[in-house]
Amino acid sequence: MLTFIEMEFLKLKRSNIFLLSLIGAITPPLLMFIAVFAFGEANSFEALFTNVNMYMSAIFAVLLFSIIISYLFGREYNEHTLKTMLTIPISRGKFLMSKYVMFLAWVLILTAVTSISTAILGFILGLEGFTLKLFIDSFAQLLYANVLLFLTFSPFVFLSLFITNMVPAMVGGAGLTLVNLMVYSQSWAPYVPWVCPYLIASGEIAIYSAGVDVSYGVILATFLIGLAISYIYFTKKDVTL
Amino acid sequence: MVDYVIETRNLSKKYSKDLVVDSLNMHVEKGKIYGLLGKNGAGKTTTMCMLLNLTYPSAGEILLFGKDPKKHSKEIYSRVGSIIETPGFYENLSAYENLKIVSKLRGDFDPYCIKSVLEMVNLEDAKSKKYKDFSLGMKQRLGIAAAIMHNPDLLILDEPINGLDPFGIKEIRALLKRLSHEFGITILISSHILSEIENIADVIGFMDEGVLIEEISKGDLHNKLDKFVEFEVSDVDLAVMILEKLELKENKDFTYANSGIIRLHSNLALRDKFNALFVKSGIDVRKVNLCEENLEDFFTRMINNN
Repeated sequence: MLTFIEMEFLKLKRSNIFLLSLIGAITPPLLMFIAVFAFGEANSFEALFTNVNMYMSAIFAVLLFSIIISYLFGREYNEHTLKTMLTIPISRGKFLMSKYVMFLAWVLILTAVTSISTAILGFILGLEGFTLKLFIDSFAQLLYANVLLFLTFSPFVFLSLFITNMVPAMVGGAGLTLVNLMVYSQSWAPYVPWVCPYLIASGEIAIYSAGVDVSYGVILATFLIGLAISYIYFTKKDVTL
Repeated sequence: MVDYVIETRNLSKKYSKDLVVDSLNMHVEKGKIYGLLGKNGAGKTTTMCMLLNLTYPSAGEILLFGKDPKKHSKEIYSRVGSIIETPGFYENLSAYENLKIVSKLRGDFDPYCIKSVLEMVNLEDAKSKKYKDFSLGMKQRLGIAAAIMHNPDLLILDEPINGLDPFGIKEIRALLKRLSHEFGITILISSHILSEIENIADVIGFMDEGVLIEEISKGDLHNKLDKFVEFEVSDVDLAVMILEKLELKENKDFTYANSGIIRLHSNLALRDKFNALFVKSGIDVRKVNLCEENLEDFFTRMINNN
């Protein structure tokens, strides 16, 4: 599996999407930087980290992850490399799994980039209250939210295999971002797979009547359903040339 | 007993109602170049995709190296190199990097091997060039490099000369012949270009509308090619009358065109006598040629018969 991941990273060499995703990862911190600079939106490191984590995992990451997933899977079809890979030979199950692991690795990189860039921008703004514990806690919160969000993206894997074009996934991601914005403060937000990761990671889930177990159940069910349908579809379907 | 590297038994593929490959029984002998010839849409690519496990058969059986590839997938396919339609590589990566991915995932990465295979297909100067900047011919060569890099025992090549210029075609043809004759690699190559298959293949499989009409060795092919005598005469009607008087039947023993051409398909040994009869009847015989049907005509005849 290590070789698979190493090769997935090699595939990203000179890739514009990878660079764009890094820019995407620093977009929430950058927007908060502008908000603090222009409107005094947050006056401490703690407030900055909290806001960035919320904007990132509850809103922006949904769009970003959908683009990454559609690129990871869709490019193998669009660049006609799937037939090359599968005739090496690589088992379809292993290929699918390596993509999931690569997606997770990509999520981890983006999480680190977001947290580090937030800290740097906070220092540039001259905010007070930075401690290593605050940074680690904030990073852990964002990481936890993003990993849970990663799990909820397995249906997007199926979507990317089914419609290999990047556009549907992007439209879907944009649509989900809007859904997240709309349901965030609603009582049924813990039942929406793409909202509950942030609610769980931030602890906000406590203010909702639905228990945290329900949200975990929703996330797990989404992951398993997405994984199962993407696996069945990918292993049973003829390769499109 | 003949050692078949590829053998299919009643292999079929159906897409909803369309039967694109129909009960295919193909036999590719070890060390031979097998040319699969057919029009566009004849089912060649689908057949190759089924052999490579990219497309699942609707019915029938495949044996590669005498084994069921479903049960011995890794063992079998690691001995196979392939190109299906245009080769697929990562556009942001160089030729070297693309081959590195393939060989690393196969578990036989060797920088020297990549270098030598790039030299073999004349891409050594383009090894650092991004794939997206390659011409179609260069892409095809890189596909061939990836297919032969691991010294396979079987090459499955779907239209590998597409996009190559005449010089490139000649080079690849020579390379494939060398791989087959010097290294004993079995090659299944498909094309809709008849002359190419005629040039390279030891055995030719004719495919049309999903059906393998005939498998024939090049030696047998020449025996099967229709031979005829062509007369160019000044009076076709009179010549036809003479032939009919000799109880020769139109469309069976001879055919004719108003342009003054009569083709004699039977009694070829008597052509001197027919010629003498024509001359004696006052017909000017401008030409008498003993001709052999070319592969194109043979292919057309086979399809029409089918």
